[in-house]
Amino acid sequence: MDTFSRPTPFKILFLVILFGLIGYMAVVLAGLVAYPPLPALVGSLASPEIVAAVELSLVTSAVSTALCILAAVPVAYSLARFSFPGKRVATTLMNLPLTLPPLVAGVALLIFYGPSTFGKMLSSLGFDVVYTPLGIIVAQFFVNVPYMIRVTRSAFETINPRYEHVARTLGCTEWGAFRQVTLPLAKNGLVAGLVITWSKSIGEFGAVLMLAGATRMKTETLPIALFLNMSTGDLDLAIAASVILIAISMASLLIFERCGDSRGIF
Amino acid sequence: MLSIRDLSLSLGEFFLAGVDLTVADGEYFIVLGPTGAGKTILLETIAGIYAPDTGTITLDGRDITRTDPKDRGIGMVYQDYMLFPHLTVAANIGFGLLQRGVDPARIREAVREAADLLGIGHLLDRTPGTLSGGEQQRAAIARALVLRPRVLLLDEPLSALDAVTRDRLRKELRAVHRATNTTVVHITHHFEDIFALADRVAVMQDGKVVQTGTPDEVFRKPATEFVAAFTGMENVYCGVSRVKDGEAAIDLGGIVIRTVTDIEGEVCVGIRPEEVIVSREPFESSAVNAFSGTVTEVRQNGIFSRVVVDAGLPFVAVLTRQSIARLDLAEGGPASVTFKASAVHVFVR
Repeated sequence: MDTFSRPTPFKILFLVILFGLIGYMAVVLAGLVAYPPLPALVGSLASPEIVAAVELSLVTSAVSTALCILAAVPVAYSLARFSFPGKRVATTLMNLPLTLPPLVAGVALLIFYGPSTFGKMLSSLGFDVVYTPLGIIVAQFFVNVPYMIRVTRSAFETINPRYEHVARTLGCTEWGAFRQVTLPLAKNGLVAGLVITWSKSIGEFGAVLMLAGATRMKTETLPIALFLNMSTGDLDLAIAASVILIAISMASLLIFERCGDSRGIF
Repeated sequence: MLSIRDLSLSLGEFFLAGVDLTVADGEYFIVLGPTGAGKTILLETIAGIYAPDTGTITLDGRDITRTDPKDRGIGMVYQDYMLFPHLTVAANIGFGLLQRGVDPARIREAVREAADLLGIGHLLDRTPGTLSGGEQQRAAIARALVLRPRVLLLDEPLSALDAVTRDRLRKELRAVHRATNTTVVHITHHFEDIFALADRVAVMQDGKVVQTGTPDEVFRKPATEFVAAFTGMENVYCGVSRVKDGEAAIDLGGIVIRTVTDIEGEVCVGIRPEEVIVSREPFESSAVNAFSGTVTEVRQNGIFSRVVVDAGLPFVAVLTRQSIARLDLAEGGPASVTFKASAVHVFVR
C-alpha cells in the first residue's frame, strides 16, 4: 500500500477530519477526568455515596444482564432457526426498544407496574417495583434485552444448522445438540452480547429514572448519582461517577472487540 | 433394508414429490441428480431432521418415519464435513459413543480403530480447522462409522475436494464399504462416482426419482431426456416418430433416422458420441443410419477427441487422435456419420 508515500489532497482532508475527531473526543473525556484535583477525585471516589452507587450499579446490572441472557437465548434461537407465522412482526417488535427513547420505555413501565391492575396485584403480593431497586433491574432489562437478542441472534445465525443435524444423528436430543454444539459455537457471540448488555445496563439512566426514581442512597446507581450531584452542584462527586462510568465503558469495549463481531448490534 | 414409500415434503424451494426407493442391505446406492433436485432433503428426511408431509420410511421392517434421529441408527456425512470445530478430531469421532454413555476406555479404543480404518490415526489430537479437506472428510466418515450405523448417508462427500484427493477418497470409500458392509446411500452429481462405487443408482429430478437401476442400465437406457443429458448423452434431438411394422422413422427436421421402437409422436432421441462412427466416405454396412456432411469441429479432449460432423444436424462423435490422423479429418472437410438403429435411444417428449 502506498497510503503514506503519496498523500493526495483527498486523503489528507479525510485523515485530518478523522484525527481531528479522535482528538476532540479524547480531549473532552480526558478533560473531565483531569478537571478536579487528584486528591479531590480520589476522595470523591471513596465517598460513601459513590461506593454505594457502585455497589448498587454492579448488583442491579449483574442481575438484569443475567435475566437478559436467560430470555435472549431462546428468543434469539427461535428467530434464527424456526419459521413461524408472524416472525417478521415479532422481529420488528423485538427491535422497537432499540429506537424507542428510554424515557418513553420508563414511563410505560411506570404505568404498567404502578397504577395498572397488574401493578396493583404485584404490589399486593409484596413486589414493589416502582421507586425501588427492583425497578432498576426491571428498567434495565426492558431497555437492554433487545440488544442481547440482536447479538445472540447474529451469533446463532452464523452457525450452520447442519452441525445440529449431525449431532442429532450422532445421538443427541434437541437439548443435547443445543448444549453441546450450538452453545459452545456461539460462545464468543454470547460473551460479546453479555458485555455490551452489562455495560449498557450500568449506564442506563432514562428508564431507571422514570421507574425507580432518583432517591439518594436508595435507587442511586452511578448515572443517577451523576445526575443528583450535578443538580445539587456537587461537581466532584458527579465527576467521580463519570470517571467510573468511563472506565467501565472502556473495559467493556475492549472485551467486546476481543470477542469480535460487532455486526448486528446497532 | 431401507424402504421409502411415497415420501413428500415441501421446504420452500426444496421439495420431495412422492419419492419411492428401496435400498437392500449392504448395498452401495447412489442418488444422482442436479443441484436443486431435492437430494439433500431426501437424505435429511431419511436421517430424521425433517418430518415428511406424507409417506413412510421403514428400516428393517420398522417404521421410523417419526422416530427421533438419535434412535434411527442412521449416520450422516455432509459435503462440508461439519466436524465440530471446538472439539479435537478424537472428540469428534467419539462424540456419538459419548452420547450413548460408553465407557471412556472403550471410546478411545473404538475411536482409534475407526481413525485407523480411514488412515487418520495420527491426527486424533488436532482440531478440525488444522486439517486438509480430505482429512476432515475422513474424520467425518469415521465419526459416523464408529457408531456402526445401519445406514450411512453421504451427501456429496467428495464434491468439496480437489481431483486427486477425490479419486483417493473414492477408492477408500469403496474399501470401507467392503470392509464394513454398511448400507450406503450416497448423493452425487459426479458421474464418475457411479461406476466406481454404485451397486444401484437412482436419478432424481424436481423432487422425484425418475429412474432406478444398475449403473449400466441407467447409462445405456436412460429413461428420460433429462437422464440422457445428465448421464452424458450428447446427441439429443427432438422430432416426430412414425412407427410402421415395428420400425420407426423419426423426422428430426433436417434428417430422418431409423430405429426400432413403438413410441410414436413427439419424441427426443439420444445417441452416445462413442456409438457414432465417423468415416471419410459413406460405406455399406448393417447400420441403417448413414449421413454425409462436413466436419465443423475437432477438439482434443484427453486421449480422445471430440469431432462434430454437420450432416443436417451436428453429430458429436468421440475418436482417438490416431483415427483422426488416419482419416485425415479436418474442420471444413467432408465426413460421414453412421450409427446402428440400436444406438438410438428414444424418449417420450
